[in-house]
Amino acid sequence: MRHVVFRLEKDRFALPLSAIREVVVTPARFSLVPRSPPSVRGIMNLRGRVVTVVELSLLLRPDHPAIKPGTKVVLLDRGRRELGLLVTEVDGIEVIEKVGPPPPKAPPTVKGLARLGALAITVLEPEALDIAVMASFSRAVPSPR
Amino acid sequence: MASIDISRYLTLYVSEAQEHLESLSDNLVKLEQAGSTGEVIDEAFRHAHSVKGMAASMGFELTAKLAHRMEDLLDAYRALKEKVDRASVDLLLSTTDALLGHVRASAEGKDVGDVSALMGALERKLYLLKPDTSPRPSAPPPASVAAPSAARGLGLPPRYQIKLKVAAGSATPGVRAFLAHKRLSGLGNVFDLRPPLDDLKAGRLADGNFSLELESTFHETEVRAALKTIADVELVSLKVIEPDAPPAPKTVEPEGPRVVGQEPARTVRVRTELLDQLLDGAGELLLATARVREVGKSVPEGARGVLDSEVDRLNALVKDLHAKVMKARMTPISVMTDRLPRAARDIARRRERDVELTITGAEVELDRAIVDELNDPLLHLLRNAIDHGIEPPVEREKQGKPPRGRVQVNVRREKDRVLLEVEDDGRGMDGDKLRAAAVARGLLTPEAAQGLSAREALMLACMPGVSTATDVTDISGRGVGMDAVKRAIESVGGTLEIESQKGKGTRFRLQLPLTVAVVQLLLVAVGDETFGLPVAKVSGVVEFPEAQLAHSQNASLLPFGNALLPVYSLAALLTVPGDDGVEQTRPYVVVEAESGKVALGVDRLQGQEEVVLKALSRPLDLVPGLAGVTILGNGRPIFILDVPRLLV
Repeated sequence: MRHVVFRLEKDRFALPLSAIREVVVTPARFSLVPRSPPSVRGIMNLRGRVVTVVELSLLLRPDHPAIKPGTKVVLLDRGRRELGLLVTEVDGIEVIEKVGPPPPKAPPTVKGLARLGALAITVLEPEALDIAVMASFSRAVPSPR
Repeated sequence: MASIDISRYLTLYVSEAQEHLESLSDNLVKLEQAGSTGEVIDEAFRHAHSVKGMAASMGFELTAKLAHRMEDLLDAYRALKEKVDRASVDLLLSTTDALLGHVRASAEGKDVGDVSALMGALERKLYLLKPDTSPRPSAPPPASVAAPSAARGLGLPPRYQIKLKVAAGSATPGVRAFLAHKRLSGLGNVFDLRPPLDDLKAGRLADGNFSLELESTFHETEVRAALKTIADVELVSLKVIEPDAPPAPKTVEPEGPRVVGQEPARTVRVRTELLDQLLDGAGELLLATARVREVGKSVPEGARGVLDSEVDRLNALVKDLHAKVMKARMTPISVMTDRLPRAARDIARRRERDVELTITGAEVELDRAIVDELNDPLLHLLRNAIDHGIEPPVEREKQGKPPRGRVQVNVRREKDRVLLEVEDDGRGMDGDKLRAAAVARGLLTPEAAQGLSAREALMLACMPGVSTATDVTDISGRGVGMDAVKRAIESVGGTLEIESQKGKGTRFRLQLPLTVAVVQLLLVAVGDETFGLPVAKVSGVVEFPEAQLAHSQNASLLPFGNALLPVYSLAALLTVPGDDGVEQTRPYVVVEAESGKVALGVDRLQGQEEVVLKALSRPLDLVPGLAGVTILGNGRPIFILDVPRLLV
């Protein structure tokens, strides 16, 4: 199956191509989303559609030190809407046939590990990413005053 | 093959059959109220007949059979001019519900349930009415009813002979001629087009001449006017063809419910998502035009004249398009009120109340997004009115009221808003009980509860969990859902007020905007971010030195009029960074919140803008306090704030 392979700094990740609508260059600015969890970078205008963009790094590994701002937004196709994932760079499209089991204690967002030549790639689960974003929202407690 | 055909027509079958059945159930409710009046029973019969026919042609045998039995019974009542008794109405309504169930099951590709019990009941009833006739094998088509009186001659729309010519200098004669043809076919049916369409499109016209005949319900002047707007096409002649001229090819119109009067409305069904997308598209065009205008400002002034005037023209066209799309979205309120009589009847019977429901102004139109949102709230208000408002007949008589309760749904247009009232003459609401209930739920302190005005006390019914109903029924327990009703009304930009007098009745007043799509915003800046506040919610704006704010406990207070309003920092409410440093003087926007007016401290004001509101998609709809999102003329997406919920 064809996958889009991208990086968060040096770590490589992949998502099935069928789950991706497109990849765009990070816009000059995002509008901030009030009362949102830290992983939410903001919203952007994608040809008239409003798309929520998350820092994938913060979503996957909240305790990991912050990384440099990403250069690309990978747009997950979620039916009638999109979800933007901010990543360091997109490497390209690769065929990944064999996805091994995820490491123990991996979050549900990780589908498994794969090898591409000498490279280790973490294959992500699109559905679970979407759910993780929603879950992070319901945890974000609005602070009055 | 057959299965492919079925699936193609299934959607149509489902939507049309549902419509027939809903109308049928309305007819039945009317029948019960008015007794057997010819028209209503004719109509009911027609609906049953249509459903039978449709189901049969789709191969849904059981559905067709059941509809057929129902048709027989209605026919018997019609022939005997007998009053349809309550038990029969019950039976017919149950049959209608069963048929609706069938249709839904068919939509999902499921099998329909067992119908033998209903079939038996219908047959027994029929036998009682007409003992001499055993169930007929098949009903003859109801020619007398279904054939529209306007079949020939009288009802036919006029037919025009139209000769046109494309101007000699036209660069694209084919396109011009085609446009004219297209415009005319929008007005009616085109016959005898010369030359044929392919030649016309290719511009193969003798000296630019072409002609056609148009059958149209539009007046001659309107046909002429339609042609005027097409550049390079000149009307050579237009005359009305006399009715005794060659008759129009007879089109056999399938029997349908929409043959009312002699001018069939030219309507098509449009999927509602498509309407939403059309509005999105038109909204985007508005924004795109605004952006082109912005870009144009960088062109040197001298070279800008043509660009500006073209942008103006584009803007006018797009605005017109937007307005037309908005108009296409307008839906009569009857779409939601039509099912109320049936609902009222069912609730009243279950709760042993006697209720008369009257509805006025159902023809008033609203944006379909609002209509969709209000469907359930309206039903809820009706349930409340009957279940908790109207007393049982005996109790009413004791109080000197007529045993039959009245519930009125009145709709009227007031300027740019629609006022919808649901009013009952029942026992009214008890403000003191509501106060007590709110205190008991821990929502208010006893002192605060006593401080509320009578009107404010009634609004407590809209707080989650507050109910004064002593008996919780399966129908409603006031309090379960009044908060949802209020929220739904506010989500479309409306307001809810309650008026009630103990022992006299209750009135719910809903003020609704005509459309949700366009809102006037006050734009405010917090740090680098811009947010929109609906102007309708803003009571005023004050610039005030921060140092001079009054303080009470740990809250800051802003003097406004004669009052001191609690101050909130919008940056803190929204958890976005504001400007650094202590401002000497900053603007405060005074807005209406649940508890009264409050002042929101912002960093800067950025003026007003009329915007096209977009609904929040996941996950943005999970954020409390956001009402929607929009894209400003500069391309920047901003959030529109839901002021009351910001402070909850």
